[in-house]
Amino acid sequence: MLGFLTARRAGLDDPLRLRRAESTRRVLGLQLNPDRDVDRIHGNGINAIDIEAVEGRYMLSGGADGVIVIYDLENFSGKLQYTCKAVCTIGRSSRYVHKFSVETVQWYPYDTGMFVSSSFDKTMKVWDTETLKPAEVFQFEGNVYCHHLSPIARKHSLIAVGTTNPKIQLCDLKSGSRIHILQGHRAEVLSVRWSPRYEHILATASADSKVKVWDVRRASGSLFTLDQHNGDKSKASSEAVNTAHNGRVNGLCFTGDGLYLLTTGTDDRMRLWNSATGENTLVNYGKVCNESRKRLQFTVSRGCSPEFVFVPCGSSVAVYTLHTGELVTMLRGHYNNVDCCEFHPDYQVSSSDLSPNSQEWFVPRMLTVTLLDSLCSSYFCFISSALQ
Amino acid sequence: MSRKRALISDAFNLKKRRNGTEQFGATAAEEGPADIKSSLEYLMTLFPRKLFNDALPQIVLKHQLYSIHSDRTLVDKELNKMRERGDLLMFQLGFDAEAFGLVFTSDYKAKVLVGEEGKTTQTTVERFLEKVVTVCTDLSFTKDKMLKEFLFTDSEITQLVKSGVLTVRDAGSWWLSIPNSGKFTKYFIKGRKAVLNMVKKSKYGEVLKAEIEERRTNSQVKFHMKYHIHDIVGAELVESIPTTSGTLLRFVDS
Repeated sequence: MLGFLTARRAGLDDPLRLRRAESTRRVLGLQLNPDRDVDRIHGNGINAIDIEAVEGRYMLSGGADGVIVIYDLENFSGKLQYTCKAVCTIGRSSRYVHKFSVETVQWYPYDTGMFVSSSFDKTMKVWDTETLKPAEVFQFEGNVYCHHLSPIARKHSLIAVGTTNPKIQLCDLKSGSRIHILQGHRAEVLSVRWSPRYEHILATASADSKVKVWDVRRASGSLFTLDQHNGDKSKASSEAVNTAHNGRVNGLCFTGDGLYLLTTGTDDRMRLWNSATGENTLVNYGKVCNESRKRLQFTVSRGCSPEFVFVPCGSSVAVYTLHTGELVTMLRGHYNNVDCCEFHPDYQVSSSDLSPNSQEWFVPRMLTVTLLDSLCSSYFCFISSALQ
Repeated sequence: MSRKRALISDAFNLKKRRNGTEQFGATAAEEGPADIKSSLEYLMTLFPRKLFNDALPQIVLKHQLYSIHSDRTLVDKELNKMRERGDLLMFQLGFDAEAFGLVFTSDYKAKVLVGEEGKTTQTTVERFLEKVVTVCTDLSFTKDKMLKEFLFTDSEITQLVKSGVLTVRDAGSWWLSIPNSGKFTKYFIKGRKAVLNMVKKSKYGEVLKAEIEERRTNSQVKFHMKYHIHDIVGAELVESIPTTSGTLLRFVDS
């Protein structure tokens, strides 16, 4: 590390290099942090978490009881031992709370004035953070498994919604219309994700084992379907043609630069795809335990070299190197099954636990932050959420 | 290739060196490409030829290699290279979508030809081996391909199925297969179940690898114990945990 610091100071190295080196060092040193904790508001499990992109300060969490909580992750107390406080809650007593479990929550990508949540009560609500009242409610016919707003969209403000209906609905935030439908899947859509590179590219994963990539500007169907055998029809039985997995596909995640797409399926496999061509890069991660009947929220690191994938695996989080498929470590600390992980370049991955007792943070042991000037933030936290 | 500056990942030496388990018989953790061939050959020696009266070529399963080498992607790449060179053949064994059998091409050809001695299907099989197996690396063939590309007639295809070189996959397509491999599959599945039960029934569902290799096998297990151990570790049916007393195999409840 000192080599990197000296090189940076002398101007031999790009500042980004030191940042990447420090990020990688921290990811490799991730451990459960005994000092940091998060307020326990949820009575049941936590299904989804999201950390806002602007400051990385506020975290949203959606629980199995329909409760949504916003936490402030910053520690201004000066003490090491700190519990992140809940800033506000939409609890069971609120008139507008979701009736059943909240499956996905997402901050509005540009500021924290708004967030969107979707739930098994067949609605998706767009909330005003100030008043904690829904500004808009979208009704659907089936349980809403997931939704996603594009993090980079400038020309559109569409929310892609995956429900038990095989058709993917695109709801427009500006006009409130939902006439745009993407047809092509044959079973319920478990996960949708916009590309972080192109604002019109959307990837969707469904229980019919297929993953389709769409350009929403196109009138006709999907751009392509991911094929795990890369067109080699001889490898598997004929039913498995053009499928991304041999089971339901329930997790989707783009890498930070949007060049690769990761998918996980109930066949206990995770696959890395080239997002431009749809080619399976054939990186072998081994058995990635996946028993989730709903969406699996996993995440990829951003700003490290090499990149890491954090996948909830039973009651721990498995960390794999993205391009070689090597299992780096298992992060243990939760008491129940982990449900979702979120990565933050300054804070580490948060994962949420569905059991009411644990929301813990993983922080690397060494906090030698003071040496670095404006490059890196002060600490990494790994919040794991687990499923009951 | 000389680099002016080192890669960031090199600074953290991501390849963790495992200490303490090497002396208990596990092969060294070197990841050079040549070692995959030698691990293949080592695994082939574990295959019991006498059990099948030498009628079968030595078969190794692809995931057995994963238990020896930690980098699976590298293993896959090397195997593909060997298949493209024509040294290695891969078969879909049928009992598991992910279980692929590997056989050296020379072994396979020799055994098949020996098995075909004196049968009416001999010429067709010879032609098949020469034209198709040497050229094409596919695991299965469709009727179209057989008729048009390789110019086999329907009756010839029936002969190939009869001789065991092709197995029915579904209407109009066939898997490439090893003749008389039914016995292999039967003994293999039985043996795998028996070994897994041995691990499961041990106290706490775990057993030291060195200890289970020494155990007396019952009549269900016809193969070498090490063959089965590599199989269950590579298929991740048991977790392989390095401990101070050697590698521990813990049954994975899934």
